[in-house]
Amino acid sequence: MAVTERTQSYADLVADDPREFRVHGSVYTDAEVFGSEMDRIYERTWVYAGHESELPAAGDYKTVLVGTQPVVLSRHEDGKIYALYNRCRHRGAVVCRQERGHSNFFRCRYHNWVYANNGDLIGMSQSTGYPDDFDRGAYGLVPVSRMANYRGLFFISLSDHGPTFDEHIGPARKYIDAWLGRSPVEQIELLLPPHRYEYPGNWKLQAENGYDGYHGNYVHLSWQRVLQLSKESTVEEVQRYRQEGAARGLLNGHGLLERPGSLNPASSWTARMMDRYPEYAEAMRAKYAETQLIDLSARRNIFIFPNLYLFDTHLRVIVPKAVNRTEVQLYVYALHGVPDAINDGRIRGHERFYGPAGFGAPDDIEVFTEVQTGAQARGNEWNLFSRGQHRERVENGERVGHTTDETPQRSLYRQWRLEMSRP
Amino acid sequence: MARQRAKASRRQHSPRTKSGSAALPAALTVSDAERFLFAEARLLDERRFDEWESLFSEDGSYWVPIDPAKEPGQGISIISDDRKRLHERVFRLTQTPVLDQNPPSRTMRLVSNVEVEADGAGQARLRCRQLITEVRPGGLGQAGLNVVRVFPASCEYRLRRDGARWKIVRKKVVLLDSDQPHYNLSFIP
Repeated sequence: MAVTERTQSYADLVADDPREFRVHGSVYTDAEVFGSEMDRIYERTWVYAGHESELPAAGDYKTVLVGTQPVVLSRHEDGKIYALYNRCRHRGAVVCRQERGHSNFFRCRYHNWVYANNGDLIGMSQSTGYPDDFDRGAYGLVPVSRMANYRGLFFISLSDHGPTFDEHIGPARKYIDAWLGRSPVEQIELLLPPHRYEYPGNWKLQAENGYDGYHGNYVHLSWQRVLQLSKESTVEEVQRYRQEGAARGLLNGHGLLERPGSLNPASSWTARMMDRYPEYAEAMRAKYAETQLIDLSARRNIFIFPNLYLFDTHLRVIVPKAVNRTEVQLYVYALHGVPDAINDGRIRGHERFYGPAGFGAPDDIEVFTEVQTGAQARGNEWNLFSRGQHRERVENGERVGHTTDETPQRSLYRQWRLEMSRP
Repeated sequence: MARQRAKASRRQHSPRTKSGSAALPAALTVSDAERFLFAEARLLDERRFDEWESLFSEDGSYWVPIDPAKEPGQGISIISDDRKRLHERVFRLTQTPVLDQNPPSRTMRLVSNVEVEADGAGQARLRCRQLITEVRPGGLGQAGLNVVRVFPASCEYRLRRDGARWKIVRKKVVLLDSDQPHYNLSFIP
């Protein structure tokens, strides 16, 4: 049967060879592969959808795409956040068109059916057209199958089946905790609106790049020259820094790039901030033991399969739109419980590198388009992800590679292969 | 609009208490403003970024907000350059091996709907609309290249007289779709 053949061939697009890990170019260019990714990855596994600080009050809402499907996140007057398919139960129009906002209800504009913020059907126009025993309770907006809130981060699964959220997030949990720990009250608040880019390339090019420790010296040489101009660091210093730390491939497709933690202000941001702002140092030392401080001062770019990155300044959300079109949203966040000057510095630093006119991110995006075009060439159909396979080691179920190794990318594609092969 | 005109006219007729000098040129006329804006647009279109940078005052800033209702520095912006960062931007474009401007953008800016609002002696506030068009030429089939992109924008300038020249104290460019995703705005919108 064709389906079986196709299932077989998706698995073949990732060659998990112990010496030469390869990924077939069609994963970036084949619209059929993209369609199956939406079905099997984005509309089945756990996908990041939003942060609780985006919906602080009852009536706040935000619309998202989960894969290709429109969903509304809505905070009801019971204080809970609901994730509802954005589709009227009558004739199927969306009930909410704004990106975000505040409303006491959702009203379908076609025939005026009205839903509460938890999805309950609370109004039907000219309702005498339906029998008296019409069961309104059965015609609320449909909630998504599963939702999870991990420390304010909301994840959605459109499937009743598959791993639980705890199973899914498990291997990344301690890194998320450490990332959040830079706030002594372990709270962040997203600063809206986000930076948004769109590029003519596949979504996995962004996924592969955020923890790629190999490209910096080449793609971002321009950035290093800017740092040198401002006398912050020389090109040589930055290039030495890029050799430090580790690249980690976690189970379930997660991964990260890590720079070593330290309490020396010269070598970690957290230590530098503690040195500069005594009230921050005091709050941090009151909350954490020294070993914890060292751990959470490690700078990490953490990828949560399949669509979220946690960076030191922002949450990065990958929104696949077509096989060769991707939107990326960068939600800068404030750390709570720290001096305003720390957040101001983080925001201005973020703007310098990121955004569609930043001094670094557009160079990355440029390379994504180059891979997208190159993948059309079939002389060799495979991209090579073998860097560091000979030297990576396994520690506590993680694969640990040199900071420039493709260890986390291999983790991404192992999970991709697994999800794409599930019946 | 009527409100702006009324405000401008009130300012023009108020006594010049600050300078006390009739020798200082009257407020910028619309045709002066157009000359200034056309020349600025041409410097950018001709990629004469160093000369463009020199149009800014020492305390000058350049702002491309995502949400124009916010104040500069509140939340994040597409560009929020103080004078130092503006210099870095020009340095990056002209002196470093950028990828995002290699190949470089060709731009053509149409400037119109110029309005002038006097803003006290030796200062002026201009508003205009710009249609910024851009293309990066390259080989056949290269994703992201060879497509003319159009960026309608609403712009505000605050100028200050500096000897015989007007300097930009603040340039604000509000893209029509400022809150939508953009591909590569590294060419200086």
